[in-house]
Amino acid sequence: MATTACFIIVSRNDIPIYEAEVGSTVKREDAAHLHQFILHAAQDIVQDLAWTTSAMFLKAIDRFNDLVVSVYVTAGHTRFMLLHDSRNDDGIKSFFQEVHELYIKTLLNPLYLPGSRITSSHFDTKVRALARKYL
Amino acid sequence: MEPDVSIETGAMIRVAVLPIGHIPAQLLRDYTGMLLRHHTIALSAVSSFYTEHQKSPFAHQPWDSGSLRFRFVIGGCPPSPWEDFQSNRKILAVIGICHCPSSPDLDSVTDQFSSACKGYSSALVQRCFAFCPSDSQLEDGNKKEGNLILFPPADHQTQEFHLNTMMQDIAASLLMEFEKWVLKAESAGTILKTPLDSQASLSSEEVIKAKKRRLGRAQKTIGDYCLLAGSPVDANAHYTTALELARLTGDYFWYAGALEGSVCALLLDRMGHIDPVLIDEVKYRYNSVILHYRKSSIQDNTQRVSPLSFELEATLKLARFLCRRELPKDVVELLTNAADGARSLIDASDRLVLYVEIARLYGAIGYHRKAAFFSRQVAQMYLQQENRLNAISAMQVLAMTTKAYRVHTRASDSEHSQNDEAGPSPGNSGKVHHHSVVSLFECQWSTLQMVVLREILLSAVRAGDPLAAWSAAARLLRSYYPLITPAGQNGLANALANSAGRLPSGTRCADPALPFIRLYSFPLLSSQADIVKRNPAREDWWMGSAPSGPFIYTPFSKGESNDSSKQELIWVVGEPVQVLVELANPCGFDLRVDSIYLSVHSENFDAFPVSVNLPPNSSKVITLSGIPTSVGQVTIPGCTVHCFGVITEHLFKDVENLLLGAAQGLVLSDPFRSCGSTKLRNISAPKISVVPQLPLLVPHIVGGDGSIILYEGEIHDVWISLSNAGTVPVEQAHISLSGKNQDSVISIAYETLKSSLPLKPGAQVTVPVTLKAWQLSMSDPDTVSGRSGLGSTGRHFKDGNSPTLVIHYAGPVAEPEDPTSAGTIPPGRRLVVPLPVCVFQGLSFVKARLLSMEIPAYVTKNNPIPTFVESNSPEEVAGSEITMDKLVKIDPFRGSWGLRFLELELSNPTDVVFEISVSVQIENSMSGDNQVANQDAAEFFYPKTRIDRDYSARVLIPLEHFKLPVLDESFLLGHPQADGVGSNRNGSFSEKNAKAELNASIEKLISRIKVRWRSGRNSSGELNIKDAIQKALQTSVMDVLLPDPLTFGFRLVKAGLANADAKVETPTSKSCVAANEITPMEVMVRNNTKELIKMSLNVTCRDVAGENCVEGSNATVLWSGVLSGISLEVPPLQETRHSFSLYFLVPGEYTLVAAAVIEDANDILRARAKSDSPDEPIFCRGPPFHVRVVGTA
Repeated sequence: MATTACFIIVSRNDIPIYEAEVGSTVKREDAAHLHQFILHAAQDIVQDLAWTTSAMFLKAIDRFNDLVVSVYVTAGHTRFMLLHDSRNDDGIKSFFQEVHELYIKTLLNPLYLPGSRITSSHFDTKVRALARKYL
Repeated sequence: MEPDVSIETGAMIRVAVLPIGHIPAQLLRDYTGMLLRHHTIALSAVSSFYTEHQKSPFAHQPWDSGSLRFRFVIGGCPPSPWEDFQSNRKILAVIGICHCPSSPDLDSVTDQFSSACKGYSSALVQRCFAFCPSDSQLEDGNKKEGNLILFPPADHQTQEFHLNTMMQDIAASLLMEFEKWVLKAESAGTILKTPLDSQASLSSEEVIKAKKRRLGRAQKTIGDYCLLAGSPVDANAHYTTALELARLTGDYFWYAGALEGSVCALLLDRMGHIDPVLIDEVKYRYNSVILHYRKSSIQDNTQRVSPLSFELEATLKLARFLCRRELPKDVVELLTNAADGARSLIDASDRLVLYVEIARLYGAIGYHRKAAFFSRQVAQMYLQQENRLNAISAMQVLAMTTKAYRVHTRASDSEHSQNDEAGPSPGNSGKVHHHSVVSLFECQWSTLQMVVLREILLSAVRAGDPLAAWSAAARLLRSYYPLITPAGQNGLANALANSAGRLPSGTRCADPALPFIRLYSFPLLSSQADIVKRNPAREDWWMGSAPSGPFIYTPFSKGESNDSSKQELIWVVGEPVQVLVELANPCGFDLRVDSIYLSVHSENFDAFPVSVNLPPNSSKVITLSGIPTSVGQVTIPGCTVHCFGVITEHLFKDVENLLLGAAQGLVLSDPFRSCGSTKLRNISAPKISVVPQLPLLVPHIVGGDGSIILYEGEIHDVWISLSNAGTVPVEQAHISLSGKNQDSVISIAYETLKSSLPLKPGAQVTVPVTLKAWQLSMSDPDTVSGRSGLGSTGRHFKDGNSPTLVIHYAGPVAEPEDPTSAGTIPPGRRLVVPLPVCVFQGLSFVKARLLSMEIPAYVTKNNPIPTFVESNSPEEVAGSEITMDKLVKIDPFRGSWGLRFLELELSNPTDVVFEISVSVQIENSMSGDNQVANQDAAEFFYPKTRIDRDYSARVLIPLEHFKLPVLDESFLLGHPQADGVGSNRNGSFSEKNAKAELNASIEKLISRIKVRWRSGRNSSGELNIKDAIQKALQTSVMDVLLPDPLTFGFRLVKAGLANADAKVETPTSKSCVAANEITPMEVMVRNNTKELIKMSLNVTCRDVAGENCVEGSNATVLWSGVLSGISLEVPPLQETRHSFSLYFLVPGEYTLVAAAVIEDANDILRARAKSDSPDEPIFCRGPPFHVRVVGTA
């Protein structure tokens, strides 16, 4: 498992709809802020890059210091962004794919308004489990 | 590291600009601004100042197209240790700027300047520009030789021109100096060192190495000077040599430098003509440059001074070059690499510069979030040093990031368009546009946003900028209160208060803090002052303007008024208006709003401030009022609030967006819901226009505004006084009715109102209205309960039952003195005056029935009916007796003696006494005689009936008169038809016809009966009992309306008395007969049918005791002729007479009665007589006739 990882889902409107610190290091508040700042900044790159490839998994698209941003863009332009410090492309790709499935299940919920925050605790548990498994 | 580097930097001559003496900041800015415009001097312009002392080393100088470039360093800078390596780092010229009025002594200026120049040993040219010299200074200065150049006072353009000339002079001087330097360098050679070299211990090996490298370095430097002199071709030649030499000696650092220079030369040569090939070339070469810098840094790894900054600079230069080409991918890669290098940088300021540059470049390619990220890094670096200047820098840098993080202050919105080029986050390059929808919901990356705002707050507090601190705290509190603990909220409130304490009172801030304010409603004008659009084309100008239809408030228009945006409001100049707004304080502290008022930008509205206290987590609806001051449109975008010591404007739109976002789950929380105000209301501000002053009618019901209590059917006059409380006269007015029970208003004095127009301001008019109280309907629950509880409680019924007067009125069409309003017509107004009528149950009608009765002869006095009394009319008209006589008038030719009465049973459940009077109107139903005119409006009044409280009474209405109309010819024609129905049942047409006629007759009959009542309270009314009468009459209407088949009459044949002539005319029984005389008489039998009737007639005479006085033992009357069993045949519609004579022995009253038994009666007669069996004899009896016998016994 990666020592530092921050996973975030950004809706097509550039609004974060799910956030999770999935790293194994002890949480520090300012670090968490920094993670979000990096992810927020990386959106600029995703925005352009997403249109250059047909693949959903964009791999590592940005980095700051030791932290790397990997992105997975769904067909609906929802972005799964993972900030991590380990380079485990395969694991990350699997992680993203599994999360995508989870996300689709969430979308299928008629009570879920696409683009709004994902508050399901089930989703959260599953994502964290996946993070432990793959990252 | 140097800020703002680009590939072209290599060709820029660095000039230090130093202020000499004291110069006011604004002037210094002006002077330097003027200077900065001359950053490029064309070689062609320089040529006039240039003198070629010796053969120029710049053989290929492009005199006609080239130029010299300057880079001004305001305030100067310390010499760089790397200036040998890159000549453009040297300060090659010094320009002093002096403001003469503040430095009067030119000598001291010269001294100061020269001492300032000492710091710049590399400077080849020094000049001091002195602006605005006085005359004496001008004289003084002209005498002096040297570097001081005086700019005589002149207009801006002249000065600019002067400055241009001076710059050209400087450029020429520099050019000549460059030539000198290059010539010297080529011949003698110079030692060129960099910090890299100097740090190395000068071992013998190093010295040899240095010697080998010297030539290449010299060539590179000469190339630099060629570039500075604006000769790229020469530069390129030297660089090529230098590259060769450096490669041979393994001097990678200088190799990279020369390569960099060659790219610069290449670009200069192309003069801005850029094509993809060139871009590839530049990219390729610069990548090589970066590679070689890196190589050199690896090589010199051991050294303390790292050439890393050059590698990063080169990276930035390439990125800057490419970012103009819109190749974001390459740029991103370069910048990411550059950012990686930051950690290796030892010098903090280098890192700062690097981050600033990265941020700027990201901004340039439209990556605002990236730019913001690096800007924030910069700000954090500033914040690490705890001093005020750094805090100010941090605050400013953070302020630039706010746009990307969407926490920007409102103030920046307006300025942003101008600031595009200035900051590292230049304008909207199109990539952010699709955010605009989302930007409605700002608090999304709430964590980031809060961090940024907190940092801004921190830096602003540290920098001592209370307004910025206030603004940041306000934004933080307003947007993120749900994420902040109550303690944190209190802290922010304190921060706000502290900041406000340091601000001058009356400071405005663009960012609103608390409370949240939303429009609650625009109260419609009261129905007393409603405004109606005027339609000039129509007489009834109020028509077609909303609201139309029978309802004043339709449910549809009600719905519209809540949320429709097309709703229009009209306000009147000078009349106060109110707007309801709802305030919410979702935070955990008491909020004191010092003042709040409507903010109107159209400047034609005076708003009245109020102050409010909001407890924690509460909301409140308050009324804000104001007065429109002039005609025009009014838009109310929001409220101006004075809270926490600062004046802010709160826009309704923002809160609306917020609520919209909250409804969709996009925003953290709905402040109003969290305060307990759950209703989500969407009110858009209507279009409000202000119209000139209008008249204002104020209604007043004379006699008090309380309800008018009326009994059912009561007729009452109400006076409504209308006074004009406006300042404009009422010129048009119209009254109409609306609401329930409109028909209860009998009359309105329209004319009174019309005649009082124009109604001047302050004038008053009283309009009488006559009301007739309506019937309470049985289904009305109020009525039912009212009936049961009546007498004890005076119930007031719902106002909804009352009719309302709607008065449309308007002022003059156009004010003559105001030319602007000529085209538009000021609207009119509508005044709704509900008539406060409260109807109580009055006399209640119990039932009606038809009584048929044989009137005995004694009851009636056989008066002539008025239609036949023409001859003796004087005695008929006068006297009450005659009026009473009319009660039961009988026309022997028409009527049957069987009277019918309509009996009305009335009860009085009220606590007052009622008097009932019945009147019957008689129409001109007689066949076309001369009586028609007299009979037209004849009305019969019956005696009044008094009904005490809680009693019932019966009122009798004789129905005899109603045969009068049906016995004229038209009825006689119709009657057999009606009868013919019985015999000829297949004639459906005639049947229908007959029925219609019959119904019409009944209607007519009923409508002529009026039952009026009067009660002790001086109130009177009419009972509405038509339906009841109709019901009662329905069954026996035939009896009432149809005549008997036979009518009988008597008359005296011979005129033996004074009134004999009357007797001949009229067979009345009133005539006097003398006793003891033979009195010849005739009995007349009239057949009212169309068939021949055979009968057996009998005539009897009775005395007052009812004894038959013709027959029997003691008969008092003698007779001659036949009195009984007379067989007569009466042809249809004809009369037959039978004569006889009577001899009265005793004077007195006698009664003559004729009776007949009809033989061979047909069906019609049987039906009329209601006999069931065909064998039953049909018996007809005539009315009794009195005979008054006078004389002595």
